[in-house]
Formats: sequence, C-alpha cells, structure tokens
Amino acid sequence: MSTPVLEARDVSMVFGGLKALKGVTLTLEEGKIVGLIGPNGAGKTTFFNCLTGLYTPTTGQVLLKGNVLPGDPAKVTDAGVARTFQNIRLFPSMTVLENVMVGRHVRMKQGPLASLFHGPAYQRGEKAARERSRELLAFVGLNGVDDELSRNLPYGDQRRLEIARALATDPAVLLLDEPTAGMNPQETEATQQLIFRIRETGVSVVVIEHDIKFIFGLCDSVSVLVQGELLVEGSPAVVRADPRVVEAYLGKPPEEVQHDVEAAKGEQA
Amino acid sequence: MSTVAISEKRSALAPLGKPLAIAGGVLAVVAALLPWVTFSLNDGNWPDKSTLQFFDAPFLVTGFRWHMLLFGVFILVAALAPTPSRGRVLRALGWGTLAVSFINALYITIKGGGLGAITALDGEVAFGGVVGVVAGVLVILASYGIGIEPVADWKFKVSTPVAYLVLLVAFGGVLYAVAAMLTTGGVGASNPYAGAIFLSFLGFAGGVLAALSGVGLVRWISALSEEHRVFSVIVLAACALLLPFTDAGNEYWMTVAANIGIYAATAIGLNIVVGLAGLLDLGYVAFMGIGALVAANFSGAATAYFGFSLPFPVAAAIAAVVAGIFGAIVGSPTLRVRGDYLAIVTLAFGEIFTRSAQNDIGGFTNGSNAIPGIPALSLFGAEFNRSITIGPVKLPGGVLYYILIVLLVAATMAVFANLKFSRIGRAWIAIREDEDAARAMGIRTGKMKILAFLIGAMLAGLAGAVFAHKNGTVSYESFKFLESITLLAAVILGGMGSIPGAVLGASLLFVLPEKLRDFEEYRLMIFGLALILIMRFRPVGLIPDAHRRAEMAEKADENAEEAHVEARKA
Amino acid sequence: MSVLLQQLANGVIQGALIALIALGYTMVYGIIQLINFAHGEVFMVASYGGLATFTLLPDDLKKTPAVALPLMFVGGIAVAVLVAVVMERFAYRPLRGSSRLAPLITALGVSVFLQEAVRVWYPDATSNLPYPKVFPEGNLSLGAVNIPWTGVLLIVLSVGLSIILQTYINKSRMGRAMRATAQDPDTAKLMGVNPDRVIVLTFVFGAVLAGVAGVMFGGYLNNINIDMGFQNGIFAFTAAVLGGVGSIRGAVVGAFIIGLIKTLSGQYMPGGTQYDYVWIFVVLILVLVFRPQGLFGEPERVRA
Repeated sequence: MSTPVLEARDVSMVFGGLKALKGVTLTLEEGKIVGLIGPNGAGKTTFFNCLTGLYTPTTGQVLLKGNVLPGDPAKVTDAGVARTFQNIRLFPSMTVLENVMVGRHVRMKQGPLASLFHGPAYQRGEKAARERSRELLAFVGLNGVDDELSRNLPYGDQRRLEIARALATDPAVLLLDEPTAGMNPQETEATQQLIFRIRETGVSVVVIEHDIKFIFGLCDSVSVLVQGELLVEGSPAVVRADPRVVEAYLGKPPEEVQHDVEAAKGEQA
Repeated sequence: MSTVAISEKRSALAPLGKPLAIAGGVLAVVAALLPWVTFSLNDGNWPDKSTLQFFDAPFLVTGFRWHMLLFGVFILVAALAPTPSRGRVLRALGWGTLAVSFINALYITIKGGGLGAITALDGEVAFGGVVGVVAGVLVILASYGIGIEPVADWKFKVSTPVAYLVLLVAFGGVLYAVAAMLTTGGVGASNPYAGAIFLSFLGFAGGVLAALSGVGLVRWISALSEEHRVFSVIVLAACALLLPFTDAGNEYWMTVAANIGIYAATAIGLNIVVGLAGLLDLGYVAFMGIGALVAANFSGAATAYFGFSLPFPVAAAIAAVVAGIFGAIVGSPTLRVRGDYLAIVTLAFGEIFTRSAQNDIGGFTNGSNAIPGIPALSLFGAEFNRSITIGPVKLPGGVLYYILIVLLVAATMAVFANLKFSRIGRAWIAIREDEDAARAMGIRTGKMKILAFLIGAMLAGLAGAVFAHKNGTVSYESFKFLESITLLAAVILGGMGSIPGAVLGASLLFVLPEKLRDFEEYRLMIFGLALILIMRFRPVGLIPDAHRRAEMAEKADENAEEAHVEARKA
Repeated sequence: MSVLLQQLANGVIQGALIALIALGYTMVYGIIQLINFAHGEVFMVASYGGLATFTLLPDDLKKTPAVALPLMFVGGIAVAVLVAVVMERFAYRPLRGSSRLAPLITALGVSVFLQEAVRVWYPDATSNLPYPKVFPEGNLSLGAVNIPWTGVLLIVLSVGLSIILQTYINKSRMGRAMRATAQDPDTAKLMGVNPDRVIVLTFVFGAVLAGVAGVMFGGYLNNINIDMGFQNGIFAFTAAVLGGVGSIRGAVVGAFIIGLIKTLSGQYMPGGTQYDYVWIFVVLILVLVFRPQGLFGEPERVRA
C-alpha cells in the first residue's frame, strides 16, 4: 500500500483540562475524498485546526506524504495543504481576482526588491499568476466577476471563491469546512460536482459537513467523530449501516438527524 | 434613523426639487451681485469690493463673489440640463454655496461687531451674505427633493490622444487649484482677511470638486489615469515642477511647499504601514527623527557627533538604513502582539525615542540644544536655498529644495504604488483584512509585517535626512507624539491606502496652520475635533482607496435604496 | 538604606495614584475592548475641575479645609463624570461595531481636544498652576522614612476605592451585568442587560476614580499642568496591561509595580530620573511581547 497523502496519527488536543480530541487517526489516500461527520462539539473543527497547523496537537502527528507537517498555518499551506473556513473568510474589500491571487502568493517568488522595481521577470510572474487565477475562477464557475469586490458576491459564489483561492495554492490536499452550509439543494449539488472535478485534478479532499446525505453521496470514505473520539471509519455504506453511528449520533435514523441538524442551522442564522 | 428623516424630507420636497434648485441658483447669482458689508471694517474694506460704499461695479465680480456667481450658474445648469446624478451634484453645489456665504458673512459679522455689518444701513441694503445662505439652504433642500442617486458611472471609452488631452487638462486644473490654494489670501499675516479668503476658497473648491465627483467626472478621470498610469505620473510630476512658475513661485511658498512635501513623503511611508498592512503606528515620526539625526551627524555641523561630512546621498542612504533597522526592531513585536496592543508598543517606542533624544543619548542628539547649523545642500556649487537664474528666468530661493522634494515625493509614490500592486502589497492587504485567513494562504504574516515597518521607516528616514538639511536644525522637539498623530491624521484624512489621499492630507494639515493664523490658538483643538468628526462621518477619508471607495458607494446605495422603499411605503 | 526605603514609599504613593487611573482603563477595556486614550485627560480635567471649584468658593470657605476639600472632590468628580459621559455618548457610541481603528483614533482626537480645551480656556493654564493648600500638611514619620499625609490619604483612598469597586462588581446586580457584558455582550443583551447603561456606568466609575486621582494629584504634588494627563495616562495604561487588562486586582498590583519601577529606576538606573519614563516603556513593551495577557489576565485563545 502506498504512502497516504495525508495522515493524522493518534492526534490528541487538550485545552486546559478539556480533552477536545482523543487519539484521532485519519488516513487520506491520494485522489480520494474523505468525509468527517459528527454532532456539534465533536471536535471536527479542532481536528481541522490541528491538520492546518493552527493548533499544535498535544500528542500525535500529522504527516503529509510521510513528512511531519510544521506547526504554522503558513508553512502547512506551503507544504501543500489548503483549507476553506466554516464561516467564509475572504478578504472582503479585495476584488475576486485579487483574492485568488493572494492564494498564489505562496507559489510566487517575487521578493521585496522585485516588487519594488517591477522588472520583466516580475511582470512575467504576475501575468502567469493572473492567468492561473482566472483559470481557477473559471474552474469553479465564477466568470465575469473578476473585478467585483468579493464581499459583493452572493453567498454561494463566496464559497466557490474561497475554494478557488485555496486551489490557487496548488495544494495536494484540500480541506473543506462545511462547504455547503447555508446553500440550497441546487447549489449543494453544484458543489458536489465541483468537488468531484477537484478530485479529478489529482487533489485529495477532506470535507467536514453536517449534511449527511451530501457526505454519503460524495465521499469515498467517512469518519465519524463523537466527543473527540473516532467512532467509525469506512465506506459510506459501512458507516451508514453501523448501528453505533445511528445510536451515538443523537440516537435517531440518519434522515431525521439531518433534519435536526438543519433545524439547528436555521436557528443559528 | 437618518434614512427615515431623509425619506420624509424627500416625500415632502419631491415635487419642489427643481423649482427650489432654480430659485436657489438665481439667488446665488443675485447674492454675487449684491453688496455684502454695510460699512468699512476696522481692518480695512472687505475684499472684492463687496463693501457698500465701494460697490461701484456690481457686475465686475472677483474673488468670493465670482465664486458665488459661478455656483449660481452651475446650479442653474445642473437643475435645467440633463445632469447625471443631479441630486448629488446639487447637494455638493448647495453646500459649497452655503459654505462660501456663511464663512464670509460670519467673518464680516464678527469683525464688524454684529449683524448690522451684513444687513441694512441707512436704508441701503447689503444682504449678500443672507441671500447667499438662503440660496445654499434652498439648493440643499432641493437636492434631497430630487433624491441622492449613486455617483454616475461613465462607461464610454476614448482614444489614447483624447485621454491624454483630458488628463493634461485635469492635471493642469489641479496645478492651478494648488497654486490658487497656496496664494489665495496672500502670505501669512500680510492680509488681515487672509483666513476668511482662504476658507472661502476652500469652500468653493470643495463644492466644485464634490460636484464634479458627483457627476462622475472624477471617477472617470481617475479610471483614465489608472489606465495611462505612466503618462499620468509624468504629467503630474511636470505639473509639480511647474509650480515655481505660477503665482506661488516665491520663496515663502516654496518653503511651505517643500515642508509639505517632506511630510507628504513621510505620510506615504506611514500609509504603507497603516493603510496597506493595517498596523497602527503611533510613534512613526521617530523614524523621521532618526533619519534627520543621522543626516545631521554626518553633515559636518559644529555640534555633530562625527567631525566629518559625508556627501548627502551617502548620508541619506545611511539615514534610511538606520531608520529601517529601527523600524524592523519596532515591528518585531508584531510577531506576538496584535491590534491595539501593537499600537501601544509603537507609541512606547516613540516616547522612548523622544525622551532619549531629549537627554542627548550617546551624544548623538545634543539634547535640548538641538543640532543647529546643518549646511544647506548644494549641487555644482549652487546652494539649494538660494534663488537661481536660468537665462531670462529668475527662480525664487528654495526652488531647488522644492524640486528635490518633488522628486522625493515622486519616488515615494512610486515605491508605494509598485508595492501596493504586487505580491507583497496583496499580502499586506490580506493581512489587514483577515490575518488568520492570510496565514492560511501561506503568507508569513510576521515577516510581511516587519517588512512593512522596515520599508515605512526607511522612507521616513529618507524624508528626515532631507528635512535636516532643508531646515538646518534638528531638534527632538520636531518629532514628538503630536507629530506622529498629525501624520496619522494626514493619512486618515486623505484616505487610508490611497496615494493622492496622503499628499492631500499632508497638504491640508500643513497648509491650514499657515493660512489660519487667526486660529493659531485653536489649531490643535480643531485638529482633535476634526479627528473625532472624520472618524464619525467619513472614516474612509477624502480620497479613499479604490476598494474602500467602492465600499462607501455601496453603503450610500443601500441608504438610497432604503430611503426609496421608505418613501414608497409612505 | 534609608534612601531605598524612602523611594519605596514614594513608589507606593505613585502607584496608588496610578492605580486610580488604571482602573478606568481596565474597566472600559474589559467591557468594550477600547483603549480609552482620553482617560488620562479625564484625570487631568478633573484636577482642573477641583481647582476651579476651589477658586469659585467664597473666601471664608477657602480657609476651612474640612469644607473646601470635600467640595473640591465633588467638583473634580463632577467634571470628570460629565466629560466621560459626553465623550462616551457622542464620540464612542456612534462608532460601536465599526473597525477597531476608528475608536482608537477618536480617542486620540478626544485626548488632544480635551488637553487643548483646558489650555485655551482655563485661565493661565499654559503654565503650572499651584494647587490650594487645603490638604493635611506634614509627614507621617516612620523612622527614617517620611510619608506626607497626602500620600497616606492617597494610598488609603486608592486601596479603599478599589476594594469597594471589586466588591460592587462581584456582588451587586449591576456588577453582574457588567461582567456578563464583558464576557459576551450579545448574550448579556438577550438576558435583558442594557449594554448602553452598562457601558455608561463603566465610564462613570472610571471617571469618579480619575476625579479622585486628579484632585489628589494636585494635593500631593502641589501644582498641576496640562501634560499631567498624557503622562500619567500612559503610566496607568501600562499598569493596566501589566496587571492584565480587564482585571481590577491586576490593575492595582500593576500600578504599584509601575510606581516602584518609576521611583527606583529614577534613583538607581543610569540616567536617573531623566530616564525613569523610558524604563516604564521598556517594561510595557516587554510585558506586551512576552506576557500580553498580563499578570492576572487569561491568555487569548486562537480563533479559527
């Protein structure tokens, strides 16, 4: 078996006395989509923050292609792990194109002097970055809005822009934190197709999502996190059939769970 | 709440919009042709032959009366001709009319010792001020009646030669306005009414500019200049170099303009730190001080630390580097400290600098005795503070400093602009907008923030080096907390992240005290009040950065829309 | 040895003064995360308010310290509270919910404005003004150490008022509302706490303490000037940060530490009193860099 592209080994995270994660292990094979589900407060976002270097795990390691990831979000991104945020965090008063170009930052080489003098090599790099960014915008389906301020985009487009921005860092692994939160069924469907297309380009994906139906339709493998512990891991069919999941996950059949979760979301908004 | 108020006004005024505007315009013209003062004031006749006894040629209008006449004509044109975003234009013109009338009437009333000065005497009338104020109010009301639409967006494209022509005319206009702003009201205390004349001119210029901006012209021209950036920069530089040939071409204004230039260059450097990277620096002027001290110590002045002098370019380069090093040191807490706390660290650093300089730390600053006698710069034997004669043209003293400083400002602008539109600049703006997200994009935020401090400090150090030679004396007194705040205010007033904004802000904050000697005593108080009011009413500044401008426009649109909905409900 | 003891005593007195001001910073920051830069000027204005009250008293009352002194406190506190409330209502409140830069710059503006207003409008405020001699005179002698009675009064007032404040915030209904607002304004609002009232009250408490400090400053140092607000404001802010912004106990402890640093560095560090100011700033920077949560504060959790 080949080295997994991303591997979390026995990751634990303790805040003060609170154990938010207890020895979570997750393996992402290249070209796969892994889903991470679990009730609120299960530690999904904490786990994500450990994967992206925002938190340093109390114990355990995160490896990218066999190398331990550094404990700094910027370096993690450089190494090839990009993310989106649960509550969209674009650069609101930058244009759509500029947002994606910020994503190119880490793959561009111009230092302060080049940026100061705008020489020919600089111009070429800038042009290449702009073209790549436009490609990515087209890829996620955002056309003709290059010069709009990102904050003016509709909600669904902002989510897509965030994905384009993350893709601009040329990641090996893309972490999506609730990519369909607040979307209608059509948008959710489009997002699913987009994630499939991202996988086709060779990027492996980890998705956190409340929408269980969406996860089961999307992922090659699903991990269920409950109270900081990994409960089950396996193919959607296996997870769906596992009685422990149904029981631990609010003790209700999946359809109703999803219903509940959506109701909760409505309350939040 | 305010939207509701506006919508109510509008629902009542809507049908009256046009008639009110026409009435206001006519009244403004009438006001221009009326006398404004009933008697000759103690300090002499009110300018522009507006005093009743000297009111011999009502149609020969100059100065503020000419401005009133122009306002009247503009208002009538805007009301009758098909004007884009008419309400917005009229509102600007109305406020301009009101400002000019009010300022003149107020001054006359105060100097004349009562309302009698602006009303009637012996059966003869001098109602110019009153009529002007009424005209202004009517036009403002009319504008709300017509409704404040968003600024018009001119879509049409022009060929390159036409664009060049437009830009030439526009920048020529700017040059004329700057020269007029400097010279209006005369030099310093030579004219007893200088303050009033100047404020009145500002009212006029502000009104016209706001109207042009409302009609969409300013946005169109700035888009054009963005498109032809190189050409614009060349023309702008040429315009700046032409200033000595205008009315402002005397030693006094060359000196003032040079000082403004030094502070403008410093403000642009600060704008990198505050405007782009979003790091509030409350001790920034210390870097300018460091640069000035380094240059002073290498200048060969009698009390300098080093007994020899270095050529200016070398000294200036050292000054920039030393200031940059300090900048990086001050910036290094950004690795751990965020937001307000960082502002306090910078403030603490500024205070440490002031206190140390006051106590002649290391023998570098000469304490409260300052370092005087720094020689003027010279080039091929021509000292920069002398007047020079090229063929038939005699240029005023200080003109070479002026030119040097124009070049300095141009260079700083180029640095700012190039950095802003680069990988580095995008990283700074990203950090400003959302630091965590920026880090998630692979931006080494700590490094980038220190870089912002370093570059900003280098620019300040460079400006400080010029300052040392230009002023001949370097004292810690010039680099205290209040100067830092003034620079910050210049950046904020002009518009954060915007280059023309920083220049405009610096100009206003450093010209106004020259012009408003009447208010010398109240200068700082007004300044404090202005900071509060700007933050309250126009936090984006006078010439906001394009992005932020878009934010503003959007909010205005929302307001307009809400008002519209409210109006329909009513 | 006696020099050291004397300087320690002076440091404690300075600390007591700074503590009174620091409490205002810490409370306001705790509730609305605003560095109320103008708070130092509230203290300054209060000092002038106290002086003005004295000037306006009839001559026979001027000679009766038992009446004049309390009236000066009332006058100083009244001016401070008025200024603080007006400032909150018209400068800060409209900016609530805007960027963090805007209120900070506004605070700077208010600070400059207040200082200039006093300079321009208060008679002879351009030079040092002597403070009336209505305070208890003489010293408390403890062996070789002499502590002026004004200093003793200052310490008693400072410690006493901070204990009262601490108790009020811990025990009373309004105190609970304040703590709730500090922790989570939105939830507090849902629970029926009126945030505007809580915030105004916070400013008022800060102003009362600054008012006491302003009058005592005059009594202790015998004369006042318009720069006193900025300097002592910075010291107080440093104390608040050192103790952990938001913590009452922290502000008081921090203030005493700052007072001691000031007097001891003035005595023993190279450069003497000319650099005491600098040492305080060095401490400030070190604290912010290495322990930004201060001595008693809680570390800020990284958000994501």
